[in-house]
This record gives sequence, C-alpha cells and structure tokens, in this order.
Amino acid sequence: MMTKKILLSFPQKATGQPMAMELIKTYHLDFNILKAYIDDNVKGTLLLEIKGEEADIEAGIVFLRQNQIGVKDIQSIVEVDEKKCVSCGACTAVCAVGALEMTDDWSLVHHDDKCLECLLCVKACPMRAIHAII
Amino acid sequence: MAKTYQEINEKIARGEAVVVTAEEVIDIVKERGVKEAAEYVDVVTTATFGPMCSSGAFLNFGHSDPPIRMGEITMNGVEAYGGLAAVDTYLGATQPSQDKGIEYGGAHVIHDLIAGKEVHLVAKSQGTDCYPRKELDTWVKLEDLNEAYLFNPRNVYQNYNAAINASSHRMYTYMGILQPNMGNITYSTSGELSPLLNDPLLKTIGMGTRIFFGGAQGHVSWMGTQFNTACPRDDKGYPQTPGATLALIGNMKEMNPKYIRGAVYEGYGTSMFVGVGIPIPILNEEIMAFVSVENKDLYTNVIDYSVPKKAKPSLKKVSYAELRSGSVDINGKIIKTSPLSSLKMAREIAEELTNWIKKGEFFLQEPIQSFPMGNAIKGLEIKEGESR
Ligand code: SF4
Ligand code: SF4
Repeated sequence: MMTKKILLSFPQKATGQPMAMELIKTYHLDFNILKAYIDDNVKGTLLLEIKGEEADIEAGIVFLRQNQIGVKDIQSIVEVDEKKCVSCGACTAVCAVGALEMTDDWSLVHHDDKCLECLLCVKACPMRAIHAII
Repeated sequence: MAKTYQEINEKIARGEAVVVTAEEVIDIVKERGVKEAAEYVDVVTTATFGPMCSSGAFLNFGHSDPPIRMGEITMNGVEAYGGLAAVDTYLGATQPSQDKGIEYGGAHVIHDLIAGKEVHLVAKSQGTDCYPRKELDTWVKLEDLNEAYLFNPRNVYQNYNAAINASSHRMYTYMGILQPNMGNITYSTSGELSPLLNDPLLKTIGMGTRIFFGGAQGHVSWMGTQFNTACPRDDKGYPQTPGATLALIGNMKEMNPKYIRGAVYEGYGTSMFVGVGIPIPILNEEIMAFVSVENKDLYTNVIDYSVPKKAKPSLKKVSYAELRSGSVDINGKIIKTSPLSSLKMAREIAEELTNWIKKGEFFLQEPIQSFPMGNAIKGLEIKEGESR
C-alpha cells in the first residue's frame, strides 16, 4: 500500500463523481478529497490523497489521463514564484518545520516534502511570492 | 602610500583599477596584510537590498490643456502629495491605495513606473483663473513624465536592531512576523557587505558621493533623517546600535525594476525594497582596515518588540556571525534567526557595481561636504494644552 497526493484538473464536462466511482471499483483505490475548486464555466481542480497498491495507483492515473483529466503529482500545495522571490528570508521566520530555508549561498529553497501546508508563509512574504495553488 | 580620488579615477579610466567587494577584500587583507592590500586594492564595493520605508519619488507630469493645479492626486488609487506646485508631486513609498490597502501602495506604483507600465492618474482641483481645469483622468508612463527621481530621506541604516517577541501573542511588525514566547529572531543587514558598516566614521561617504541606486548612478544628497553618529561604538569605531543614515537621490528613468520593489508587511504596511551599492575608495591603510571588518566583529542588540515603549529592552548583544549562523542562544534557549534583507541580491549589486567600475563606466565622486560626527537624535515630547 502507498499514499500519494495528486492534483486533478478537469474540464467542466468530465465531472468528478463517475470518475471517482470508477477509481474505487476498478482500481481498488481509496481517496480523500483534500480540496476542491470549481471555476464556474471553465474548469475544476481537485486535490486528492489516494491510497492503494502502487500498480493500481499508476493504472488509475492512466485511466484519468485517458479521460482528459490533468494529473499532477504534488508534495505541497505551496508554491514559491521564483520570479517574484528576492531571497530575503522573511518567510523562513514563520516556517516551524524548516520547509523554507536559506541555502549556503543565501537563496531561498522550499523543501515541499517537509511542508505542512499551514500557509503562514503566504502572509509573511513581503513580495507576495508564495501562494497556495488551490 | 596614500592615494587620491583623482589617482583612482585615472586608473579606472585606464581600465587598471583593482576593484573587489567588501566580502572578497577580507581574504585579501588576511593574505597580504593591511599595508600591502591598501596599495593593491583601489576600490571596495559594498551593497544592500532591503526594506527601506522612508523612500519616495518626486514627479512632474507636465501641463494638460487646459491646465490644472492638481490638489488631490491619486496614482493607481494611491494618494500622492498635492501641496507642491501645479503638476509636481511626491509619492511616498508607504502610502496605501484606497482600494487594495497595503497590498498595493506607493512603492508598488514606483516599481510599476520603473517597469514601464501605464499608471492611472486622477487629479482634482478647485480651479483657478490661471488653472481652470477641475478634473483630470488619464494614464501615464515613466517616459511621459518630465522629471521622475527617487528622493529617499532615510536609507541604508548603519546597523539595525535584531527583533524578538517575549509576549504570549504573535506580532506583525516591520521586522516581519515575530512568534510568541521568543519563538524567533529577525534581523536586517548585509553585515560585512553593508555600505555604512564598512565606513563607520564616514571618512569617504558624504554629500555628493556617487552610488549605485536602484540600478542607476545616483548620489548621496544629504545626511539621512534620524542621523545618529553619537551612537555607542566599539573601540575601533563601529556602531553597535542604529547609527548613521543617508538621504539618496537618483533618476528613476535610469533605474531597473529588479532593484526597486514594492513590499508588504502583514499587519504593518507597505514598504519598498531598495538596492543600493556604495564604492569605498581605498585612500589609505586606515580605510582598508575599516573595510576588512568581518561579521564576527559587528554587533547589534536583540530587542524585545513586545514592549510598547520607545526604549525597548535589549535581551542580548549578538554578532552578525551569530545571527547568520541560523540560531542564537538566549539564556539557554536556542532561538532560530531569519534575515529580512536579501544578501543574495546585495551580492549581485556589489558585483554589478564592481563591473561598472572595472569597465570604466562609473567614476568615484569625492564628497563635497562631510557629515557631522557626534550628531544625536531627539525624541518627540508630548506637550499638554490646546493653545499656546
Ligand atoms: S519571504 Fe518571499 S521574497 Fe522573501 S525569501 Fe520568502 S518567498 Fe522569497
Ligand atoms: S505552508 Fe507552513 S510548513 Fe509549508 S512552507 Fe509555508 S510555513 Fe512552512
């Protein structure tokens, strides 16, 4: 068994519900909807945590892609915009788990595997370079 | 052997000047000693890139037809000062916008202008015989303006406090977010690369000094506000508390938006990141000794920002080497430290200034007036009584 976090983006016509039933039935995958965002006319976004055998997860992802659903592996919903970031370090002050850190040459690095998604850093960044992707 | 400004400028013109950054010079002095290093090196570059609230721009829009004497002025919804002549204004960096508040303020307008973007200008007036127009609503770009120059009354602080919060609630300050119960420490300096820490007694930096300012060649125009050369110093002369400051001037039309950026401090307000680089001519051994200072020898105080008084207590005196190490020990508690100014960008600015000088594009300007030493700052007394 393994757990994986994926971000799905689907066109309006491909609704989430029947896909989800398919995933459970055919691929024996458990999932949790962590976040959902539906943009009225354009598209929807779903952040899922899926649990199952590795081969089943992979087959499930292929199935989703075949149905015009974008699938992205993610570790954290927190993203740092490198063009806006000036490596000042203000965000590292609030990151309790060390997911945001200064490297030896004083650039900012985001270890997304450590991130707890507390989103404190979003408000701490004076350049507004950090945002949650969903 | 002492050098003069003129001799160094002649070397720059011939492409022979030896120019290094204030970080690089440390090893040169260790290897060669102060005397030999002073003969070898001609210019040492210093730089900083951090939040500097006391900043803003003087702008002249030119006259419309019919003309207006602008009284109330906004630029992208940010109020600019209407108390100058008809179409002159001063746009302050920390002024919030009427619609977006501190998320978009004067500093962001200044950045957008430098980036070449169109800015929405709205002005109102009473109308006068000579300036009949009462309203104006248009879009302007930096290139459309007659004059546009930054005039920042207080930049490049010579040393600044580190901040901590001993209270039980989180604080939102201009020193960033301070976690409760001494959860973290923030500090803002480029330390051994910082301009005024490399010339602690202002032997070479004075009125008229030519500088790197937001990507343009600007000048030191005056002593900065809250100029405190009477601050406590160590036995070599380096300030141990906030000391001197500089007022800077430079042409916005020659600036690079990378080095002038709007900033937002949650729960506090808008500020502006300003990129400044100052060259220090190595005129003699004394100046070389000053620029070879290291972070381990530069000290500041960790100040408790939770005390709502002007005089806040210091919990510890720490060196910049300790602050840069990532944590500081206060009474047995290991406390994480975080920077607020960008050393990475400061290094980039020092490199760029170094290249300008090496290529013969930037020459040193000897100050036309030195700044006073022993200048203390005053507080503001609250006096009772409505009329006097
Ligand atoms: S606070 Fe923002 S600009 Fe500063 S290092 Fe973090 S992400 Fe970059
Ligand atoms: S969301 Fe929280 S844990 Fe993740 S990087 Fe930001 S502050 Fe750190």
